[in-house]
Amino acid sequence: MSMSKKTQEELDRWSKEVKRGAVTLAILALLSKRRAYGYEAVKLLDEKMSFLALEQGTVYPLLRRLEKREILRSEWDYEDPTKPKKYYAVTEEGLKALGAMSQTWSVLSREMRDVIMEVE
Amino acid sequence: MSSNDPLELIDQYLDRVRVYLPLDSEDAIVELQTHLIEEAERIGEGKMTAGSAMMAIERMGDPKSVANEYAGSGKKVGPVPAEYVNPLSRMLVVILGVALALIVGASIIGVSLTQLFGADIQNWPFSIPVVILINLAIIFVIIGGISMLDRSKPLTEKTTLESFFGIGVEGFKPKGRLDAAGDFVMGLIFGSVLLLPAVVDLYTEAFTEYYVAVAIFLFLGAIRGALFYIGGENNFNLTVEAILSVVWIGLAIILIGVGWPVQYVYANTNGIWYKFDLLDFFQTHEIPFVPFDWIWAFIMFVTVAIAIWRIIVSSMKITMHLRAGRGIWWQGNWGERRRLKKPFWKRVIGDQNSVQTGTTYQDGYRESDESQ
Repeated sequence: MSMSKKTQEELDRWSKEVKRGAVTLAILALLSKRRAYGYEAVKLLDEKMSFLALEQGTVYPLLRRLEKREILRSEWDYEDPTKPKKYYAVTEEGLKALGAMSQTWSVLSREMRDVIMEVE
Repeated sequence: MSSNDPLELIDQYLDRVRVYLPLDSEDAIVELQTHLIEEAERIGEGKMTAGSAMMAIERMGDPKSVANEYAGSGKKVGPVPAEYVNPLSRMLVVILGVALALIVGASIIGVSLTQLFGADIQNWPFSIPVVILINLAIIFVIIGGISMLDRSKPLTEKTTLESFFGIGVEGFKPKGRLDAAGDFVMGLIFGSVLLLPAVVDLYTEAFTEYYVAVAIFLFLGAIRGALFYIGGENNFNLTVEAILSVVWIGLAIILIGVGWPVQYVYANTNGIWYKFDLLDFFQTHEIPFVPFDWIWAFIMFVTVAIAIWRIIVSSMKITMHLRAGRGIWWQGNWGERRRLKKPFWKRVIGDQNSVQTGTTYQDGYRESDESQ
């Protein structure tokens, strides 16, 4: 079934809002499993979270903001001097935030699923 | 001119991004550099070529937008779009700093503003900002016109406007580690040479009263060099730099009155060494123009102007670092640019594998706040 232009616009607007909320959680969840440098994080997110369609222009500034808020910490690796890598990892504070966010997300998604099932 | 060397293309593109970023954004530049190289290698299936580098660059997008995503607030600051705030404020500081450095340097050697400009300035002091504003407006109109012609340039080539905006970038770079080592070694050598009895013998009578102070200053300069070599740019070292610059200005005010410091040079005739009187030579040969005091005044002018510039830059950077909560001492960075280009000698002997990079960063401090 093809979508009308208006529906498409509405979907785009809604997707944007959902993505905005989900991206921090996605980055924290990925980085809590293992540290990653910028390019790696961009590729990981691209691979695992295709819905978010994140680009470097979104990921790098967000990593910087989270680092500034001390949710992430960073460490430079100069092993390959041509490509120094700034590795990001989740801090203790970040892990606590991730735990709280994950719980909220679970509640939200469960309730959303229930509501949507009622509609369907 | 666009190159075919992929690393050079990336370097040129990052030069453009750098123009729009705040001071102290080298971490962001290095992060982008790594991203571009890895993306170019991915596109080229493991091998980076000029084509794959250009594709990676195009994917990253317009340098203004990239810098703004990193550092910009996305809002206008007054009438200025956010992406232009950093280059414009840097330009303004450069213009004011250079003007101040020249004026103070000139006044210390006893040249007044009117002598500098060759005419009496009317309606002082109001005419100065008006003239500056009019000239800036003319410059912007001209450069804006030229920029229209830059539209078809590739992403790796700086626009005329960016070349203009980029003027101040070099002036704010941290001291390079090699420069710091040079300061240390040269400070020790020159300070020691100044104190050698055989050299002291050559000074004018007036300078003999001050050479110890100059030597001590040179040794302090060597300590500053050592501090920068060890700790890179941090608030402690910047403070030392600012204090030494103030001390130098004070010393220069005295030294300018002392005049040219060397009265004799050693000469050798028929295997016999003797002291040749420079000033006497000019007088006995009735040479009407004795250049030494002019040379001395010029040296003082240049060194005082540099000292003023260092005070301005150090004060700005200390404030910036304090705002970022960095305290007094940390392992700071050095100013060597990460030149991705192959060095000349490697290009000549055809080294295909390596890339010149300087290890300029040390971990241990976070990036600064976006300065908007």
